[in-house]
Amino acid sequence: MRILRASLIAVAGALFAVAGVSAHHSFSPFNMTGEKTLVGTVKEFQWTNPHTWIWLDVPNEKGGSDRWGVEGMSPNYLGRRGWTRTTFKPGDKATIVVHPAKDGSPGGIFVRATLANGRTLTFGANDPPEPVTQR
Amino acid sequence: MRARGVLAGMAMVAVAGLGWVEAQEAVTRAPTAADWAAMSKLPDFGGVWEAGGAPRGGGPGPGAGGPGGAPRAGGAGAAAPGARPGGPPAAAPGAGAPRAGGAGGARGGRGGGMQLTPEAEARRKELQSRPAEDTSAANCLPPGMPGIMGQPYPMEFLLTPGKVTIVIEAYQQVRHIYTDGRKLPEDPDPKFHGTSIGRWEGDTLVVDTIGFSPLTQIAANVPHDGNMRIVERFRLTDPDTMTIETTITDPGVLAAPLVSNRTLRRHRNWTTAEYICEENNRNSVDQSGKAGLNLNPPGSSPQK
Repeated sequence: MRILRASLIAVAGALFAVAGVSAHHSFSPFNMTGEKTLVGTVKEFQWTNPHTWIWLDVPNEKGGSDRWGVEGMSPNYLGRRGWTRTTFKPGDKATIVVHPAKDGSPGGIFVRATLANGRTLTFGANDPPEPVTQR
Repeated sequence: MRARGVLAGMAMVAVAGLGWVEAQEAVTRAPTAADWAAMSKLPDFGGVWEAGGAPRGGGPGPGAGGPGGAPRAGGAGAAAPGARPGGPPAAAPGAGAPRAGGAGGARGGRGGGMQLTPEAEARRKELQSRPAEDTSAANCLPPGMPGIMGQPYPMEFLLTPGKVTIVIEAYQQVRHIYTDGRKLPEDPDPKFHGTSIGRWEGDTLVVDTIGFSPLTQIAANVPHDGNMRIVERFRLTDPDTMTIETTITDPGVLAAPLVSNRTLRRHRNWTTAEYICEENNRNSVDQSGKAGLNLNPPGSSPQK
């Protein structure tokens, strides 16, 4: 019973969280089944509605860097779940996993991130992932 | 002298004009001390509520923008799966519009429950055959009713004599529900939230709403035909739990009333936060339904 309830909560949570991003737009520009890992330096964290954006400078093979835009949930949503406007600060080294833009543009939807201090971030702050949502 | 006559005439026109306007609208009476005293008999709807699935026990108190502080694992269960928003793509087109059963509703939007007339079913198939990549919500157009009640953001209930006001964080929207005994207008202008009156049946607030903008829809690919009527029953089922039973009728579209239930949880440590969708909206949809994405970094000149 407890397991069933936990599963229901997790499934509801998954639906809810997806709705959290999609409350205002669809995911159609993004490859939601693909993941790309970005390793770079935070240029700016836009703590703005309707969505947050992490701008990350990622070294490219030409010796320069590309500036990636990573779209996350709103500050309203994230602020109630442990994030703050300084969760990412300019100069922070970060590894961010995204669902990348389908057209190859340097943008993606935030999946999870690891900061230089080892802290892992999801949309639910540092909650452990719930495997049941993989169904 | 002549000028005075002209002024008087203008004043008369102005007064007549005001009188005409008032004749079209119900008059909001000044509340009496007894009206205010009666408020204490109403159930406690105050505070900030969000559809079930939000963190239990509350994360950090203030809404967005609170300074500093290390993130805590306050959001037990609810948000963690959201780290992987790779859910069914079908979830996305529902943005801004409820699915049958109501997004976030107790019945979970599993489909079913919505019976369409043959005409509406044909219309839905037609719309599905040329699916838009996104809805106008991507351009920050609020969904209106009933979709606005199913957003994954909080709402706040304000009870004052003769009125219930619902402040909805998503898209920073407001619903005005008059509980002063006035009748619904015969032929209201179409609005995103319609025109609402409410009455108390014991501890249940019953809200009756008509007159919706054609830009709102019953559910994804299910437009209303102008005759949609929404009756909502709000009541507390627990000190910090509210259920909303929503019944949508639209005889030209729905073959049977569409009933859905939604459960809200009160968060005493939350406040309603600002939500200016145009602040930094980088998503868009054009008239053909094609979605767009603006990846110009902040401070840069627009790319071609």
